[in-house]
Amino acid sequence: MPAGGLATEALLLGISSGPVCLASCSPVLLPVLAAERKSAWGTGALLAEFLAGRLGGYLGFACLAWLLGLSLNLEPRARIMVYGLCDAGLAVLLAAYAMGLQTAPEKSCEHGCPASRARRFNDRYRTFAPVSLGFVSGLTLCPPFVAAGVRAAETSSLPQALLFFACFFVGTSIWFLPSVSLAVVERFAAVAVVARFTLFLLAAWYAYAAVIILGRYFLHA
Amino acid sequence: MPERTLRAAPRSWGKSLLLTLPILLWSLLMFSRAAMQPGRAPKLAAAVTLLLMAALFFQMVRTFETHRWRRYFFVALGFLFPIGFIWDLVALRGSMSIPVERMLSGDTPFCFIVIPMMIVPAALLGTIVFPGSVLATASNPHAISAMVALWLVATLLLGKGWCSYGCFFGGIEEGFAAVAKKPRIKKLDARLRWMPWAVLATVVLLTAALLEPVYCTWLCPFKAVTEYLQVRSFETAFQAGIFAVLFLGLVVVLPLVTKKRTQCSFLCPFGAFQSLFNKTSAFDVRIDRSKCQPCVLCEKACPTLSIGAESLESGKPRLSCMKCGACVDACVRGAVVWHIKGTPVGTSAERARLMHLYSAWGFAVLFGGGIIANTLAKLFGLLV
Repeated sequence: MPAGGLATEALLLGISSGPVCLASCSPVLLPVLAAERKSAWGTGALLAEFLAGRLGGYLGFACLAWLLGLSLNLEPRARIMVYGLCDAGLAVLLAAYAMGLQTAPEKSCEHGCPASRARRFNDRYRTFAPVSLGFVSGLTLCPPFVAAGVRAAETSSLPQALLFFACFFVGTSIWFLPSVSLAVVERFAAVAVVARFTLFLLAAWYAYAAVIILGRYFLHA
Repeated sequence: MPERTLRAAPRSWGKSLLLTLPILLWSLLMFSRAAMQPGRAPKLAAAVTLLLMAALFFQMVRTFETHRWRRYFFVALGFLFPIGFIWDLVALRGSMSIPVERMLSGDTPFCFIVIPMMIVPAALLGTIVFPGSVLATASNPHAISAMVALWLVATLLLGKGWCSYGCFFGGIEEGFAAVAKKPRIKKLDARLRWMPWAVLATVVLLTAALLEPVYCTWLCPFKAVTEYLQVRSFETAFQAGIFAVLFLGLVVVLPLVTKKRTQCSFLCPFGAFQSLFNKTSAFDVRIDRSKCQPCVLCEKACPTLSIGAESLESGKPRLSCMKCGACVDACVRGAVVWHIKGTPVGTSAERARLMHLYSAWGFAVLFGGGIIANTLAKLFGLLV
């Protein structure tokens, strides 16, 4: 298939299934955008970081999908494993992010004290949080992503598979752009508290989902 | 000890009766259908409910107190609703639990708490995420359309007043909160009042992502006294355990020791959503700062942490105010008053209270009164 046709197909698949991708990624993306309380530009930058991480996840998955052929898409146990690991990863990342929002102390303390170390860790992690959350979200096997994975695996070369996923990503990303409007909550201090509680609740949810999925995986090994 | 001022003398009997007349006529209209049903029990139940609703309204008008008399109705509604609901479930299928096959076929009665969760999937994907019927059917008369229409009418009238006059769950915890004379736990972290917003955000996001009503399947404490998924696996057993723990913790134990509506204050996502409609309702509560000497009696009386230091400063309770009237009744200086938006604060507070009461009590008779009468008819049927 010519590259133009493949790109158009992927783009259209992305646009048509974008709402499902948005619904699937929103539990991870929106609380983070709200928690940071940044201006429209700042929120846009965070969204870009998240989407860059998600693209990394897509392309990484594209490589796997192409290298393993159809087997990854058709093997239910492998799929269950990916689901479980993604949920576990999201639980850890979201909980760490929420704890970072809480534990960053307002008063400065001596270099090397536990609070200072925690703050430095939090600051460092928070810099990479949108990218890492985007990456794990990109690996989550939502239905449109599985459809794209099946199609990518049918392509004749790795560059074609990567092109397919990149164009699919662009199509779905259009649906994420309105989330920049979350910048309107910037002036409400309470939003950070609500977002932090939300992140903890979501982390608990993903942790439970991971335990159940991985438990089933290993029990039925 | 704050200085006490004399309360207004009770209204005269004649004037109070005259002011109660519209509610009496409305109640007659509402309960006449129930009274026409065959058998003595429905007639007796309709008469008792009519008398109860009219008498409570009369007392609210006569004594100038709202919260105390509203609470009798609200607690009765809270305890009678689950009895009637479980009664129907047992008659229909012999158990409170619903098998998953029946749930998937749309046999689950619709509950208003799902409304905020439905909006995003409906807008984004054109899907109503609830296993109920849009229109009433023989096997499920509690249709989605009927409940949404009722909610919309009440919401436009009352805003978050729904939580004081319409919610058939809130009365249970209000009943437990009324048991103790003094709270054993007095200090509650004010940041926890944001928790319902977090629960709302979580359930809305997860409902859209998973296309299942996450609050109903995982977090609703009232599943413990209504309907839950039949326990057939570890997952359903775990869910049932969560319902029981949340019910005992937030609806029974914490209200007993804090004298607050803790489920409404710290969990209910519908309450958080409903708060937004306080902006559209014509009625609210205000604090007249010229009369207020911060004795914080209103803050202590508020069952949902809706009054804080900043409320006394700004003259407005927080957005979560559910217009129960507890703060107005508690204020001995008459500084906390009912108010109609767009009018000066404190100039016609009693008129504002009466106008709010007519709309709120009119809805209470229509909705809660019907539920009370139905359950009483079932109970009287055992005796008569």
